[in-house]
Amino acid sequence: MKRVLGTPVTDYMPALGLLAVTAIYLVTAYQYSPDARAVPAGVAWVMMILVSFDLVSRTRTKIGATLMHWLNPAGDADKQDAVKRYPVLKQIVAVAWIAGFAAAMLLIGILYAVPLYVFSSLLIQGRRPLLVCIGFAAAATLMIWLLFDVVLSLELYPGILFGGA
Amino acid sequence: MLDMWLHGIEGLLQFRELAFLALGMFIGLFFGAIPGLGGAAALALLMPLTYGLEPFTALALSGGVMGGVPMGGSITAILLNTPGSAPNAATAIDGYPLAQQGKAGLAIGAAASANSIGGIIGTVSVLAILPVAKNIVLLFGPPEFFLLALLGLVIVSTTSRGKLLRGLITGGFGLMVAFIGYNDVSGGERFTYGIEYLWDGVHLVPALIGLFAVAEMINLYVKGGSVANNAASVKITKMTSGLMQTFRHWPTVLRGSLIGTVVGAVPGVGGVVASFLSYSMTVQAAKEQDRDSFGKGNIKGVIAPEAAINAKDCSSLIPTLAFGIPGGVEMAVFMGILIVHGMQPGPLLLVDHQVEIYGLIWALTASCVLASFTGLMLVKPLSYVTLLDAQILAPMVLCVAFAGSYAIDMTIENVIVTAVFGVIGYLMVRFDYPRLTIVIALVLGASAERNFHQSMLMGDGKWSIYLNRPISAALLAATIALLVIPVVRAMLNQAANRKILVEKEAA
Repeated sequence: MKRVLGTPVTDYMPALGLLAVTAIYLVTAYQYSPDARAVPAGVAWVMMILVSFDLVSRTRTKIGATLMHWLNPAGDADKQDAVKRYPVLKQIVAVAWIAGFAAAMLLIGILYAVPLYVFSSLLIQGRRPLLVCIGFAAAATLMIWLLFDVVLSLELYPGILFGGA
Repeated sequence: MLDMWLHGIEGLLQFRELAFLALGMFIGLFFGAIPGLGGAAALALLMPLTYGLEPFTALALSGGVMGGVPMGGSITAILLNTPGSAPNAATAIDGYPLAQQGKAGLAIGAAASANSIGGIIGTVSVLAILPVAKNIVLLFGPPEFFLLALLGLVIVSTTSRGKLLRGLITGGFGLMVAFIGYNDVSGGERFTYGIEYLWDGVHLVPALIGLFAVAEMINLYVKGGSVANNAASVKITKMTSGLMQTFRHWPTVLRGSLIGTVVGAVPGVGGVVASFLSYSMTVQAAKEQDRDSFGKGNIKGVIAPEAAINAKDCSSLIPTLAFGIPGGVEMAVFMGILIVHGMQPGPLLLVDHQVEIYGLIWALTASCVLASFTGLMLVKPLSYVTLLDAQILAPMVLCVAFAGSYAIDMTIENVIVTAVFGVIGYLMVRFDYPRLTIVIALVLGASAERNFHQSMLMGDGKWSIYLNRPISAALLAATIALLVIPVVRAMLNQAANRKILVEKEAA
C-alpha cells in the first residue's frame, strides 16, 4: 500500500474527511447571524485545530510521534500496525449492502425490501441453499409485519414506487 | 424519600411492568451472550419500540435489559471462553479453566449469585447517593449546566483509554451535528442545506441505532463466521454448590461490589476497568499459596469480576441521571430512551421524575437477581446463541433496526439517518475513534448552546460569569485540569523514558 510520511494513505482518510466536513461547516456557519453562529463556529474552529493535530500525529515523523504520544497514546504507530486489517473490498461490500437495503426500503417499501434483502444477502453473501434463504426471508418479513403492523399498529412505509411520500 | 421508593416499587409491581421487565431481561440475556452486541445494541434496537409505552413501562423494559446483559455475557465467557461483553473477559480468566476441569456449573452458579449480590449492593449505594446528588444539583444555573456538559465531554474523552485527541474530535463532530436544525437563539434554521427533514435536527434515536446496532452488524459482516464452535461439548454440573461459594467468599463479593460501585460512579471509566480492577485486587489480597491458582480455575477469580460488573451497572446510573454524563456506552444509549420519553437526563430529572427513576432502579435490581436465576436455567440454550452465523444474524438484526428506525415517527428519512450513522459508526470502529463522546455531544449539544447564551445574557456578555460563581469556577478548573493532566503525564513519561535511554547508552 502507498505510504506518505511512513503511514499508509488510507490512515489519513478519516482526518482528511473530517477536515473537509469541518471546513464546509465553518463556511456555512459564517452565513448566519453572529448570535446563531457563535457556538457552532467556535466548535468548528476548535475542530480544525484538533483534526490538524490528528492528521500530523498520524505521520511517522518525530513531531507526529510526539503528538501521538502526548494526545493519543493508544493510537501509536506500532500498535496500529498490530491491528487486524480486513480487505478494503470486503468492507466496501458490507457498507454497500447497508446502502442497498436502505435504498430498497425507500423505493419499494419495507414489506418488499425486507424479504428481498434477507434472501439476496443470504444467497449471495452467505452462500446458503435456496430453501434456507427463502425460509429466513419469509421469517424476517413475518416478524417485521407481526411486530410493527399487528402488535404496534404502525403502517409500514409502502415505498416511493408504491405511493409513499 | 421513603415515600418515593415505595411509589417506585408500587409502580413496578404491576402486571404490565413486570411483564416488560421480564421481556427486557430475556432480551438482555440473549444480547449479552453474543459478543459484539451487548446492552448498547439491545437498547438501541428497543428504543423505537418503547415509543408506544408509558415512560414507567419503558424504563422497566430498559432496566430488564441492563440487568440481563452481564449474566448472558458471563455464561458464554465461562463455557466457551467467549465473553459476551468486554467486562466478562475478566470472568473468563478463571471461569473457562474451571469449565475445562468439568466445573462449569460451579463457576456459573458462583457468577450468578455474585451478580445478584453485586447488583443489590450497587442499588443500595445509588439509593443512598441520589438524594444527596439532588440537593447539589439544585444549586446549578445556566453557567453550571453549560460547563457540566463541557466537563462531561472532557471526562469521557480522557477516559477513552489513551484516545484523548480522538475522543475530543468525535465529541466536536457530535456537537456540530447537534447544532443542525432550528435554533432557539436566532429563531432560524441552520446547516440544513435545504433538507426539510433536518429542520428538527438530526433525530437522536435513528442516529444511535446506526452508531451501535448497524455499525456492529457491518463489523460482524466483515469479520464473518460464527462466534464460537464448541458449544455442543458443554457440560454443566454442581451449580448449587457454586451458588454457595459466593457466600463462603463474602469478602471477595463485598470487595468486588464496592470496587464496581466506585468505578461505576465515575463517568466513562466503564465495566472493563471495574471487572479487571476487582480481579487484580482479589489476586493481590489472596494468600501467597493461593495466588498461583488464579488463572487456572480459582472460584474467587469468577466471583470478584462478576460482583463488580453488576454493582457498576447500578452505580453508573448516578452520573447518568444526576448530571447527564453517561457512565458508559450502554448508559449513553439509555439516555436516548429517557429523552424519547420526555425525561431530559441531568439535574432536573431527579426533581421532576423521581417515581420513574426509583422504579428504574428497582427494575434494574430485580432484573439482576432474576437474570441470575433465569440464566442458570437457560445455560445450555444461551451457549448455543454463540453458534449463530454472522451472515444470518446480521440481516435479521438490520431488518429490525431499519424498520424500528422508521417506526419512531413514521418518517422514511430516519432510515437514511440510521444508514449514514451506521457507516459513520463502523468507520469510527475501524479507525479507532471512541463512539461514546459523539453520543454525549448529540444529547447535550443543544442544551449546552442554550445554556451558554443564557449565561452570557446573565453576565452581560462577560466571560467572567463562569469565574464569579463558585460551582462554575470549580467545574471550569476541573475541565482544564482534566485536559492538561494526561498531556503533562505523557510529557513526563516521555522525558523519563528518554533519560533512561540516555543512561543506558552512556553505560
